[in-house]
Amino acid sequence: QRIRSQNIVPCTVSQLLAAEQVDETFRIRDVEISQVTIMGIIRHAEKAPTNILYKVDDMTAAPMDVRQWVDTDEAGGENVVVPPGTYVKVAGHLRSFQNKKSLVAFKIMPLENMNEFTTHILEIVNAHMILRKNLMSASRVPQSFSSAGISDAGGYGGGGSLPVNGLTAHQSQVLNLIKNCPVPEGMSLQELKLQLHNMSMSTIKQAVEFLSSEGHIYSTVDDDHYKSTDAE
Amino acid sequence: IHPTGKLFVLSDGEGKHTTVELSEPLDEEISGVLEVVGRVTNQATIMCMSYVQFREDKSPFDLELYNEAIKIIHEFPEYFPFG
Repeated sequence: QRIRSQNIVPCTVSQLLAAEQVDETFRIRDVEISQVTIMGIIRHAEKAPTNILYKVDDMTAAPMDVRQWVDTDEAGGENVVVPPGTYVKVAGHLRSFQNKKSLVAFKIMPLENMNEFTTHILEIVNAHMILRKNLMSASRVPQSFSSAGISDAGGYGGGGSLPVNGLTAHQSQVLNLIKNCPVPEGMSLQELKLQLHNMSMSTIKQAVEFLSSEGHIYSTVDDDHYKSTDAE
Repeated sequence: IHPTGKLFVLSDGEGKHTTVELSEPLDEEISGVLEVVGRVTNQATIMCMSYVQFREDKSPFDLELYNEAIKIIHEFPEYFPFG
């Protein structure tokens, strides 16, 4: 299942340089990309009659070539060169020519609020994580776990219950129990232990810590109670 | 900023301080939020190669939030590679 990229994906220059190209498409770790945004500082600007060539540096790799075509009919606004030393947000298409990657920008905007930079780096992690997750879990794990059914089975519950979302059997069991818990303050560790007789408390705690750091669950009233982030 | 202009102290989003050394003394007044690119020395200072001052004319920069974001991206090198 490919995600056809209709999206504009925030990236680091290092990700763009590492992207693999198959025919006309680029992929960053299986996620298809075409239109991207990067944010960095202009190190160099060169004006030519039909285009401006910038070198944009986001510190993750060497500065990237960004070409902005100049509309020769329009005077004024469009043709102002952004000076080196300015932080900018670039939106454009990824291109590769003779194995050298560059961007063709359709928008270059100097940053007015540097907090956008913080947002951008968080969005990069978020976007790539979500796009990748969508690719990996091509089919949702059926929510057919009842609390009685899990406790006897030990590892995998049989048949169609293989976790496809990168979690181990233990982590999936813990997650599903937490997901199906209707109580507002969530599932407590004690409850989990009662439901999962075959798992030791330390295994449960490890699973909970992992799920929490991956963002599948969050703690509620205290560190012993958890709810799932996927509202069912 | 040290009187010689070759040293200044920065504090980060968590209030921790670090000393930045310059090869040439400062030729301008600086204040506010700076981004310093440099190498870490064995005395745990930073040898500055370049610096840029963040614009804060329109809105103040949230340094603590930035600090948190940096910690997060280091936890996910697969989504934020450093070439």
